[in-house]
Amino acid sequence: MSKDIIIKHHDPDVMLSLWHVTKRFGGLTAVGDVSFRIKKGEIYALIGPNGAGKTTIFNLITGVYALSEGRIIFNDGVVLGQGEHIIKDDVRETEVRPEHKKPYDIMSRGIARTFQNIRLFKSETVFNNVLTACHSGADYNIFQTLWRFKAGPKWLSKYAHQEEALRQKTEELLKIMGIWEYRDMIAVNLPYGQQRKLEIARALATDPKLLLLDEPAAGMNPEETMALMSLIREIRDRFDLTVLIIEHHMDLVMNVSDRIFVLNFGKPLAEGTPEEIQKNPEVIEAYLGKEEDADGHA
Amino acid sequence: MSWYYIEGILIQSCYTLLIVLGLSILTGYTGMFSFGHAGFVCIGAYVSVICTMALGLPFWLALLIAGLTSMALGTALGKITLGLKGDYFCIATLGVGEAIRLIFNNLNISINVGGTPFVLDGAKGIASIPLKTTFPVALVIVVVFLTATALLMNSKHGRNMLAVREDELAAQMSGINTFRSKMLAMSMSCLFAGIAGGMMAHYFGYLQPKMFLMTKSTEYTIMVIFGGMGSITGSVLGTVLLCALPELLRAVGDWRLVFYGLAVIIIMIVRPKGLMGGKELRLGVLFRKIAGLFSGKNNPPPDQKPPAPEEVSA
Amino acid sequence: MDYYLQQLVNGICLGGMYALMSVGYSLVYSIMNFSNFAHGGVIMVGAYVGFFALTALKVPFWIAFLLCGLGSGLLAIIIERLVYSPLRKRHAPSLYFIISAMGASIFLENFVIATIDGTPRNYPTLFSNNITIGSVSLGLDSLLMIIVSAVSLLVLIFIIQKTKIGLAIRACSYNEKAGTLMGINASMVIFTVFLMGGVLAGFAGMLYGMRFIVKPTIGQVTNKSFVAAVFGGLGSLPGAILGSLLLGIMEIFVASINSNLRDLFVYALLILVLIFKPSGLMGKVVEDKA
Repeated sequence: MSKDIIIKHHDPDVMLSLWHVTKRFGGLTAVGDVSFRIKKGEIYALIGPNGAGKTTIFNLITGVYALSEGRIIFNDGVVLGQGEHIIKDDVRETEVRPEHKKPYDIMSRGIARTFQNIRLFKSETVFNNVLTACHSGADYNIFQTLWRFKAGPKWLSKYAHQEEALRQKTEELLKIMGIWEYRDMIAVNLPYGQQRKLEIARALATDPKLLLLDEPAAGMNPEETMALMSLIREIRDRFDLTVLIIEHHMDLVMNVSDRIFVLNFGKPLAEGTPEEIQKNPEVIEAYLGKEEDADGHA
Repeated sequence: MSWYYIEGILIQSCYTLLIVLGLSILTGYTGMFSFGHAGFVCIGAYVSVICTMALGLPFWLALLIAGLTSMALGTALGKITLGLKGDYFCIATLGVGEAIRLIFNNLNISINVGGTPFVLDGAKGIASIPLKTTFPVALVIVVVFLTATALLMNSKHGRNMLAVREDELAAQMSGINTFRSKMLAMSMSCLFAGIAGGMMAHYFGYLQPKMFLMTKSTEYTIMVIFGGMGSITGSVLGTVLLCALPELLRAVGDWRLVFYGLAVIIIMIVRPKGLMGGKELRLGVLFRKIAGLFSGKNNPPPDQKPPAPEEVSA
Repeated sequence: MDYYLQQLVNGICLGGMYALMSVGYSLVYSIMNFSNFAHGGVIMVGAYVGFFALTALKVPFWIAFLLCGLGSGLLAIIIERLVYSPLRKRHAPSLYFIISAMGASIFLENFVIATIDGTPRNYPTLFSNNITIGSVSLGLDSLLMIIVSAVSLLVLIFIIQKTKIGLAIRACSYNEKAGTLMGINASMVIFTVFLMGGVLAGFAGMLYGMRFIVKPTIGQVTNKSFVAAVFGGLGSLPGAILGSLLLGIMEIFVASINSNLRDLFVYALLILVLIFKPSGLMGKVVEDKA
């Protein structure tokens, strides 16, 4: 089996790097040879016309799909991909066999995401939606659920103590996102914009280091979009996050992101700061121009 | 109606409730469908009878072994199929449920235990099983399991199961090990079925493989659906109602199951959460409601909701 | 040797009938991703239509046969419209579809018990002649079964492979969402799939009735055809046909050793397939869509 070589992976400032990532469905190449590195603390945007493969990249990062080719390397040294390879950096040379990890495995390593077509736990309350995502903070077993009191030795009263902590955390998150007053509503009955916020709250509940947002402003009006923008910055600072965002609202992308990556039909088109992207003629032709005509965002 | 007759219905309701409770965890909470639960009840019934009659073990120990055997089988089945996408779990339960029944249909054991013969004769089954399942015993067992289930479901483990039912991918993305949640649901469900099988065998006093046909499995599922998926009190109501109804509706006869089938379809279309709509009937709320009836308008409405904002179109 | 050849022919006969039933399961699974357990009820109703057409209406065999296909096809479409279509519009999870299918199958089975009765009935003898080819003796009815199965399946394959609607079905089985984006009318595809599955189910019901017996609980046999669909690979049409033929042949040979074990063998095979090769002989492994 041939061995790929990745040089200088071990850069502590890089949160996530994609290395020649390719995904094929049957004969169709959804994502072809995409490489980029996201630095710690950055808000990195992924833009491109519909069907450009943006959500597929999210699904590859989160382990929903297996990679066809290339590598995805996380900050803690976990590598996704096929086949063996060698990781080289200034200090050491290691041989690593990448694995196809289960999504929950990847998520528990500090990555959280939202979905383009909101996927809440629909028939549960707003509170329980977030509470469920807090569960990594509790490790009581099924027998410890039988004792509900705080009194008693620590092994016995684990449920009460941990459950209280989970509820406090949930309350805090709901308040930060401004949806605390909806806590007892069934999630599916929430207004659309609030559902988006709830999804972000649920993602934050898993204590992520890297947050993937898939079109968080879709379906929001301009005022809501503006508010969301400052909210994204605020949570980035507050939770010390790195954010990877897919977005169609150009105002949001240009204002909020530090760097932008443009995809077109699964292929990389350009990468750079918002100013650079706005000036790039190829990007204007392929994406911005059309988009402006189509739905008036600019 | 004599007490003897009523007691019979009550005991039947008790062990059926135990099965339905297990199925409620599996189907109602975790959203997995089993076609073969009667098979797990069957395993429990036969194992418990072999324990008491052939091995001479005490009844409670026999129930425990019956439950654990059924659980082991269910866990193995889950291990094989729960990692697969699609209907494979459901299909496997169909196969295992039928296979268990057919194995006992073809099994012949005839041994002598201390002078008394123990005969397991294929389709004819086992006769003269000691009648150990009295109403108090059945009630105590079912109350213990009911409480434990209620506590477990109202914890992280139960909420994980609900998340799996609601949206498996979103659950995984929220860091939930969905495979483990499903395994837990399956194991518990089979444990309950096995114990209930043991109670059933020691209530009827005889066993035959044809008591565990696939229709039986679907009847248990219907009880879960009637009561409401994801509600324990709903399962209790569904079970008691559907256990007593056939006795009361003897006159309707053959049409009973026609209505059941129709009702299942209508429930799925109109109110998929069933009778209780995924909510629990709480004694506190019930008391307040009853009190409200007597004391007029002074009581606040029991479930206060924040004012619902207008729907914002996408 | 002759004995084995005879058994082989019997097996193909049974397998052909399973194939007619299992393609219905497979077609629906490939498009809608759930196991349509109401299909057994559709087959059973087909068998009853044939029975009453022959005994009460006293129509010739061919007309009874066509009536079976018509009745079952119609029933399958009605079930789709009344039971699945409301769920489809709501994007309900597949659990709801399976439960509804179970409800529909309970309804059909017991409706027949309540309105007709539960006693098994025999079809009138239609063909008593035997044909002897070499050393193999073949009942005319068996020969008919094989021919009917083969012709119906060939027509089905022709429709799927060569017509426009067949192309749409194949596209949707690959990815319904993508298919819809390409301008395919998903409702039309689903309608066609249920119609074709239903018509073949009707034929199968009649063949089953001729060969064995008519009763409301035929569903237990149709479960075996479902096993055949899994064995061949759920969602794969050639898989369903191949799986059915192999299952039919194996079942006959097991039955010739010990007839008590034939049902047990079928379900044991199902479990083995799920352990060692859940995608079956020709099934595809599908990735979940986010």
